[in-house]
Amino acid sequence: MKPVYLAGRGLACALGLDTYASLIALRQGGVATSSRALPGELGGSFPYYVIPYAQDSWNGRACNLVRRVAIEAGAEKIRSGALFISTSSFDIGANEPGATNRNYREFSDELVDWLEWTGSVYMVNTACTSSLNALMAAHALLAAGDEEEALVLGMELDNQMTLAGFAALQLLSHNSSKPFGAHRDGLVLGEAVSAMRLSTVESSHWKMLGGANVVDGSQPTGSSASAVVTMYQRALAASGLAVDAIDLIKVQAAGSPSNDRVEAEGLREAFGNVPPLVSFKAVMGHTMGASGVAELALLTACLEQGVWPICANEIDEILGVDLAVYQPETVHHFMATILGFGGSHASVAFERA
Amino acid sequence: MKTFSIGGRCIAAPPPLDWREQLAQMLGFKPRRIGTWAELGLYGALRCMTDAGDRRLSPDAQIWLGSQRGTYVATDIVLAQIRDGLPMPLAFLQTQPSQLLALLAAQIAWKGHACFVPGGQPHDLLRLASAQVGASGLLLGMVDEMDGGTTNWLRLYPCAPEKEEFVHNSSEEMFLSGVSYLRVDVTGLQGRRAIQGKTE
Repeated sequence: MKPVYLAGRGLACALGLDTYASLIALRQGGVATSSRALPGELGGSFPYYVIPYAQDSWNGRACNLVRRVAIEAGAEKIRSGALFISTSSFDIGANEPGATNRNYREFSDELVDWLEWTGSVYMVNTACTSSLNALMAAHALLAAGDEEEALVLGMELDNQMTLAGFAALQLLSHNSSKPFGAHRDGLVLGEAVSAMRLSTVESSHWKMLGGANVVDGSQPTGSSASAVVTMYQRALAASGLAVDAIDLIKVQAAGSPSNDRVEAEGLREAFGNVPPLVSFKAVMGHTMGASGVAELALLTACLEQGVWPICANEIDEILGVDLAVYQPETVHHFMATILGFGGSHASVAFERA
Repeated sequence: MKTFSIGGRCIAAPPPLDWREQLAQMLGFKPRRIGTWAELGLYGALRCMTDAGDRRLSPDAQIWLGSQRGTYVATDIVLAQIRDGLPMPLAFLQTQPSQLLALLAAQIAWKGHACFVPGGQPHDLLRLASAQVGASGLLLGMVDEMDGGTTNWLRLYPCAPEKEEFVHNSSEEMFLSGVSYLRVDVTGLQGRRAIQGKTE
């Protein structure tokens, strides 16, 4: 198996249009949310994290954001490599309120044109875990020697359908995201476009070791504690790591009353002594299919630059877990987890190279 | 390059007229409010497992699913609903292709790695799966709702590389009944037919 490195990254999210701008905003305490109004009895006003980049055309905005993060990640070096596109909503925002009379290939062809990509192209959609599953698929191809470089793109942009769907399922907060919070009352969604460049020929600060995805159909819209445990056990085994080797876990912790409880239960069972935890949901929102790579981009940048998110909300003591107030002194190995729709539980492990 | 033997298949393009009745029989109940695309997927996957003699999937087996248009019918319905207000919760769930993976996992009481590859050709799925799958193999399916429906599935097991020559196949040929072995690499898909133990 060849070692696979995180050779480049790009991020556009509510915090900023690139990774550096996002770190600056995070260091300054974060950004305010925008709001979205939805009609009907279960509607109302919902906070929403918007990328600060205005453009009239949905496709034009998407194109420019995709190109920005790809350039930041160094994609121009590897256009003949493998491209992984991960999203849960595709370009639905461009088609609302009209019909979606198109196929997936047209969408990926559009992105290929935007990026002038010449290599192989794959799309991955597993709802919120999409980009972590894309990352694992890319890692496997590279580790096996089938490709030398890959770009994993996560993309989730403003659309009415996702917000309305989550509102209809009564999963959204009307106020703010409170990861593991005593007064947590739902998710705050957000936009993100992010790219991670993986390479077997260019080393970097971080080596991706592996990961695992566990689908458990018993809870189609949420998580199960046993699947969280199985996910961590399999991800550790795939990465050749023991439980006590993990110095930090970036958790899902989106502020859901039930899912946060289930995640905490799974963490306690899987680790016993739970490592320091961090969540980015309160600073960038839950960015759905893009969240895996978007939060990884921010996490690795934070670890390199000594920036840490402020946890403003009161933690729910009943959960038996806590968020780290300060960055751990030494982070040699970390894991990054996303739990999502479709009973999907995904986690990846990285090592400081 | 991994070689796979085909241990079971469901080729239904389109499925038989009574496929919904057959699905209800396999499930033990009539599925409700999961959408036609998910029903087609469940029908093909369960038929394929039956053909392979599998009542259960090993936790180490994987499920790889592809589609050209996926849940576009359910998506159009929800887009129409949100013109007037919020969508129906179950209607929104039907727009999420990963729900089919969850439904299938629940039906066969399985927890494992499952992935949806929108727009992918069957050989794309096989290439990605080859890099990740272990000894328990995979269930690979292509499901679409257009033109009367398609739900083609293969139960694939990794096997020792065959010495006999493989020939290049198109993705569509992957599902032909005579093809018994498959392998894929960056140059594309290769298949080999086996009739009474001999290479054709």
